[in-house]
Amino acid sequence: MTTSLKALTNLRWLPAALMACLAACGGGDDAGNSSPGSSAGLKVYRHSMDESPTSLDPVQASNVYANHVLINAYDTLFSYQYLARPYVLKPNLADGWPEISTDTLTYTIRLKRGVRYIDDPCFPDGKGREVTAADVVYSLKRHFDPATRPQGAWLWQGRIVGLDAWKEAGSNYDQEVEGLRALDDHTLQIKLVQPYPQLLDTLAQGYSSVVPREAVEHYGREFGIRPVGSGPFRLVSYDTARIVMDRNPGFRQEPVDLAAEGYDPATQGQYGLERIEGRSPPFIDRLEFQFIADASARWNSFTKGDEAQYTTIPNEQIDRVLTSKHPITLKPEYAEKYFFYAGMEAGFIFQTWNLLDPEFGYNEDPERERRNKALRCAVIKSFDWPARNDSFYGGIGTIFPGIIVPVVPEFDPDLSRVSVTRDVAGARKLLEDNGWNAANLPMFTFGTTANVLNRLMFEQFRAWLKDIGYPPEKVVLKQYATFGDISKAWKQAELPWVVKGWGLDYPDAENTLQLFYGPNSSPGSNDSNWRNPEYDALYEQSSVMLPSPERTEIYRRMNEMVIDACLTATGLARTRIHLWHKDVIALPDREIVGGFFLKYVDVED
Amino acid sequence: MEVLQYSLRRLVAGIPLLLGVTFISFLLMVYFGPDQTYQLLGKNPTAEQIAEIRAELGYDQPFLVRYADYLREVATLDFGNSNSTGELVTDLLARTIPVSLMLILPGFLLGNLLALLLALLAAHYRSRWPDKGIMAFSVVGMSISYLIVIIAFQVIFSSSSGLGWFPVRGWNVHSLAEYLEYVTVPTLATVFVALGYNTRFYRSVIVEELNRDHVRTARAFGVPPAKLLYRNVLKNCLIPIITRVVFTIPLIVISGALLVETYFGIPGVGKVTFDAITTGDQPVLKAVVGLTAVLFVLAQLVVDVLYRAVDPRVSLS
Repeated sequence: MTTSLKALTNLRWLPAALMACLAACGGGDDAGNSSPGSSAGLKVYRHSMDESPTSLDPVQASNVYANHVLINAYDTLFSYQYLARPYVLKPNLADGWPEISTDTLTYTIRLKRGVRYIDDPCFPDGKGREVTAADVVYSLKRHFDPATRPQGAWLWQGRIVGLDAWKEAGSNYDQEVEGLRALDDHTLQIKLVQPYPQLLDTLAQGYSSVVPREAVEHYGREFGIRPVGSGPFRLVSYDTARIVMDRNPGFRQEPVDLAAEGYDPATQGQYGLERIEGRSPPFIDRLEFQFIADASARWNSFTKGDEAQYTTIPNEQIDRVLTSKHPITLKPEYAEKYFFYAGMEAGFIFQTWNLLDPEFGYNEDPERERRNKALRCAVIKSFDWPARNDSFYGGIGTIFPGIIVPVVPEFDPDLSRVSVTRDVAGARKLLEDNGWNAANLPMFTFGTTANVLNRLMFEQFRAWLKDIGYPPEKVVLKQYATFGDISKAWKQAELPWVVKGWGLDYPDAENTLQLFYGPNSSPGSNDSNWRNPEYDALYEQSSVMLPSPERTEIYRRMNEMVIDACLTATGLARTRIHLWHKDVIALPDREIVGGFFLKYVDVED
Repeated sequence: MEVLQYSLRRLVAGIPLLLGVTFISFLLMVYFGPDQTYQLLGKNPTAEQIAEIRAELGYDQPFLVRYADYLREVATLDFGNSNSTGELVTDLLARTIPVSLMLILPGFLLGNLLALLLALLAAHYRSRWPDKGIMAFSVVGMSISYLIVIIAFQVIFSSSSGLGWFPVRGWNVHSLAEYLEYVTVPTLATVFVALGYNTRFYRSVIVEELNRDHVRTARAFGVPPAKLLYRNVLKNCLIPIITRVVFTIPLIVISGALLVETYFGIPGVGKVTFDAITTGDQPVLKAVVGLTAVLFVLAQLVVDVLYRAVDPRVSLS
């Protein structure tokens, strides 16, 4: 045998070592009985998103990415109809609508029977047990336990009798809460401190996913990567690039009634949705989330054909893909291959003054306060919403006045558009009349996270200010490395001007009106730190009212107060163009909680 | 015995380095890194909730107490759970480091071996057209941004508007065929860029060696070019080559290849590290920095021992 042959013989271990390495880095099979790689013969739907969830623990379900996964791994008591727009609630794990006391303070909710958690080692013998009302109680209590690092407590804080006190007493799970009780295995009772019209909406959030205590205790902190739920899918593997979920074989049989899901044949007939009528979801064997931050990589993956089956059109591709923006139509080569749906964002982009800022905000001197308000109004008048829309949102966003966004029923389409119409002459006059000039205008710090897009937005804004006589050298950019850093600056009221987007948690204008409620001032969500007793009183009055024309009237009055106060340049609701392969039977959406539609996705054989 | 004694001495000497690296990096993390408090808060936090989160994250502890905890974690290799996902940091590294290794190793090996061959060729034909051609190629590899190379290779080899031969992204590897399918384009991009830097470096080392008296003497004695390059030149160049190669390894093992992993959607340790930096996930960062420092100390030791192996004149004392 030659030396080289000997060497070859000595390398016989190589293939085995390579295969061992491949096994080690091919992605785990946490569930034990299905591999995330073997999709041959399975019906798979691959859904791409621009970011990944950080945690799959429902108490940390603070973003739409986490919600996409959570509400498919877990059950929530309520959910939203698949196809109805505006969004309409429906019972999910709840067995019908709750019984509500006449004072609207006590809700009795019955749970469906026979709903079971997936099999998991956290249960005795590894067999999933039935979901009970005690699980709902436990899941909501977790938001009031600091050890879980909860992010959803704000939904129920000061709302449920005894829950805040339970936290104060040390968050002992064995201690009962008067306002949150399991009357029996299938009956939950919630007692409210005061009427809370949005309560059922909060019980549709990923935050209110029903988790088994055994799993939380079994996995500890790792519960955030090991969901154990009763939803339509069960997690197979999880990393920052991909999540694989398989159909939960034990998911309850609930045939689809398209009419009850808000199906509109006139506008939704082209998507082939009739084919799921009468069948019980989920219809796919595997749901795969692909997290692709880079827009061009996401687009390449989508257009490849055998990879991602869904994407939203990146802004830079809009002109390439569309023949018309008003109405939105695809070029024939794309229309032939893909379905599309142009959906308005349930939320908005807005920019708000921070009234605690010493230069631009409140001033105890009435004269200076008058001049500051004129300055704030002038800057808002300089804002060119159509230009912002064209430059950064593909020209397809919806510009509207005020803070009641177009997707909620309380939106007023007839509201004056003066506040979103650029008025350079008016702004200049305001400055001049109030004694502002290039010499005495204060330094304006524009804070953003550090990226090219934000820098461009700043430059555009600075140019608008220049038009009204604001010296460019007095408008400076302050960049923050991460969202956490700028969020800290907002919460500590360090910046005079807050540039923000807000996604609705539930389809009710209360969710945006609370952004200007005095007690929600920093570190709360009222970044403007506006405190107007009349507005606050109206907010408190409306916050306990069920939807009604009277409540809508109050909402609209509050909306006008915000506009008149020159608090905020608002707003724009982005239009997202959803694109999906024609072999996918679905109507994708990512608004409100996000991801409800995934249960109903089907893929042609 | 000499090697063992030397190794122990070096390991002990590495302790101040470890302390220095961990102290400075921890200082940067604590005072200049992202504050995770505000990412973990709900929408309408109270001052009390902010204090609770800070306590949960350990931000309310004095710096030196936190640093002492960090040293204990490095010593016990127990870094706790990620602040973001809750996953055990050791599990997270055990899951992602093999992926990064499998991703980067082919590019690392090919990038160094091919660069060595090209450098030998360029040095041998110094100032002639093969040298100029290879150097021009190197400059191209060095000049084009890695990100541009990645995007271009992805479009050319993977996208529907290019050849479409390989997956655009992902890491769904369960067999050798799948491995080759997913690793090829990242490897091509890595090799393209690595060749530029490595070839230039190796060429300059080899050219310097070619000018030495012993090489001139060997050439005068009629030693054939291939033998001359291998025995008289390459072997004598091994010290700088070993230094470069070995010191790259800790970065590959721990830091991975951030751009490749991010752009190709590969769940390796580079992506995890990047996410930890941007979110301020200190348990993960502490592990990555601590382990990188440990690996550098080990790399230094390995390099010294290898110096002795390739050049007996080097003394370990």
